[in-house]
Amino acid sequence: MSAVIEARSLSKYYGGERGGRVHAVEDVSFSLEENRIHGLLGRNGAGKTTLMQLVTGQEFATRGEIRVFGASPVENARVLSQLCFIKESQRYPDDFRVKHVLGTAPHFFANWDPAFAAELIERFRVPVNRRMKKLSRGQLSAVGVIVGLASRAPLTFFDEPYLGLDAVARQLFYDTLLADFAENPRTIVLSTHLIDEVSNLLEHVIVIDEGRIIIDADAEELRGSAVDIVGPRGAVDAFVEGREVLHRTGLGGLASATIARLDETERIAAREAGLELAPVSLQQLVVRTTIGDTPDLSKGDNA
Amino acid sequence: MDDSRPIFLQIAEQIENDIISGALPEETQVPSTNELAAYLRINPATAGKGVNLLVDSGILYKKRGIGMFVADGARERLVTQRRDRFREQYLAPLVAEAGKLGITPAQLADMIRAEVRS
Amino acid sequence: MTTITAATAAPAPPVFSRIWRIVRLITANPFTAIVTPWLILGTIFLLNWLIWLIIFANLGADQRSNAQEGIQWSGAAFYIFVYMLVLAVQAINLSFPLALGYGSTRREFTLGAMLTFVLLSVMYAVGMTIGAALEKATDGWGLGGTFFRTIYFGGDEVWYVQLWVYFCWFLFFFFTGTIFAAMYVRWKASGLIVAFAVLAFLVVGGGALLTFTETWHVLWGTIADLGVVGSVSWLLVPAVLSAGLGYLVLRRATPRG
Repeated sequence: MSAVIEARSLSKYYGGERGGRVHAVEDVSFSLEENRIHGLLGRNGAGKTTLMQLVTGQEFATRGEIRVFGASPVENARVLSQLCFIKESQRYPDDFRVKHVLGTAPHFFANWDPAFAAELIERFRVPVNRRMKKLSRGQLSAVGVIVGLASRAPLTFFDEPYLGLDAVARQLFYDTLLADFAENPRTIVLSTHLIDEVSNLLEHVIVIDEGRIIIDADAEELRGSAVDIVGPRGAVDAFVEGREVLHRTGLGGLASATIARLDETERIAAREAGLELAPVSLQQLVVRTTIGDTPDLSKGDNA
Repeated sequence: MDDSRPIFLQIAEQIENDIISGALPEETQVPSTNELAAYLRINPATAGKGVNLLVDSGILYKKRGIGMFVADGARERLVTQRRDRFREQYLAPLVAEAGKLGITPAQLADMIRAEVRS
Repeated sequence: MTTITAATAAPAPPVFSRIWRIVRLITANPFTAIVTPWLILGTIFLLNWLIWLIIFANLGADQRSNAQEGIQWSGAAFYIFVYMLVLAVQAINLSFPLALGYGSTRREFTLGAMLTFVLLSVMYAVGMTIGAALEKATDGWGLGGTFFRTIYFGGDEVWYVQLWVYFCWFLFFFFTGTIFAAMYVRWKASGLIVAFAVLAFLVVGGGALLTFTETWHVLWGTIADLGVVGSVSWLLVPAVLSAGLGYLVLRRATPRG
């Protein structure tokens, strides 16, 4: 197992020393293994893009250390030639048409596959001769996605790549990504807040909230780490006695609680107590970890 | 894939189901990890984990350079396994639910017999 | 899940190809840097020629030589330099984020951009020199007019001196655009304000200095002594300074927003 990215106490602050300072990324440490699909999840403004910019040397860290392929990525041609990071907010020269992007990208990515790129242009229906400025949001995202996929860079970042893509195009992206990743394994980092759509693609999940990492886990483990139990309020309360409750909600006589993983015996016990077990999707897990409880409507609570 | 159990377990179970039902006869080839991943829209590593589980338990075996195949005698082994689990997976919930609805054991037996006949 | 080793990267492509690909990036759309300027120059020239036609049609022979002398001071061709300045600004401002997005280093980008400007300067200088030669051969385009051989371009000099003069003008405008663009890329609006403020300070301050020390005549005298060629050659000094400063400014610039 080798780590392709290692961050230690990474921080990025914007602004002056006093009150106006923004802590975009705060004391972040993690390591990403090679040839896996990693998910970088979090709310808008949580710090996902800043983190990716730090890792790709586009931004300078205020504090801490970052190592990509064993070295600092800043102004490091050797490391940078292995990366592809086309942001969703990527700006292009005014005089560029789509064909110019496709014509210049190959010079920067050694593994560029022109046939694959052409195929993707077809599939995503991008007009090759149109000016970048005249593209719709979806077409602009599509170009970014196409460059990211066709570059076959050993370390590829997709920063909220779905913005503007309709559901069909998004599914196309996920399917293409998966198929190409299987044939040409490489390290992929995907940032998104459409968690449920990508949750099955991910192997490793990092959740960032207000610049700090709050979850860093294997996707499979995370998915199974919690379960919802639903049933009559009394039965639920009785069952969760003594257990850590991650989230609780209810309506009338019905209650639901999210608790940590149950083993087989406990699951049978829950069913025998008249409770139903429901899976907690990755999205629900992330949301509940970042915002806490939803109001219990029967008690007239305010969150 | 709504089950709350890990995905790789669900995949393993799905392949087992196909073997038991006869959809995947013994000595036939199982779809590759990449094919499974693409079809189910999951990460290839997860698909691989599920397949490896079955390789470890002797249900599947690997033919180098070709792919994964259903082992000889796999179906029998699985059926035996399933029978053992039948009680807790189907029987126990059935009895519990019947109890909730006030169906007596005798009535339950009648219902079962009628169901089998139809 | 312990990490045993850090994965290592394959070596980067050779330095020159990394710089050359920036040149290709900036000139990806050939129209912008190569075709359009000639079209503009051609159009301005044509307009000028028509204007001379109109003027000379209404003048007598004795008035004509006066008019011709006046045309020698025409600044019509300078629009081409303004275009180059804008080109440099656009290239730096917009190609920078894309180059970084593609995985280029800032060093490579800046060197590549400067190489692009030097090459374009050479190309256009050659083009203008050819224009000047044609102008001489046709005796002022059949009307005794001057467009390529105006005073500012060393009208009467031999071709290789003219080539040099053109080259210096182009380089000056390209790199002036570079420093302004670099300031903007690094510090956005604030950077631009500072750049203009510095420029204003230099110009007004310089003017004030000359006025208070009553040395304007020294300035004019020096220019007269140096002649067109010498004076224009001195433009290389601010050009090189702008290039150097631009390089330093971009070293820590980020593709924000």
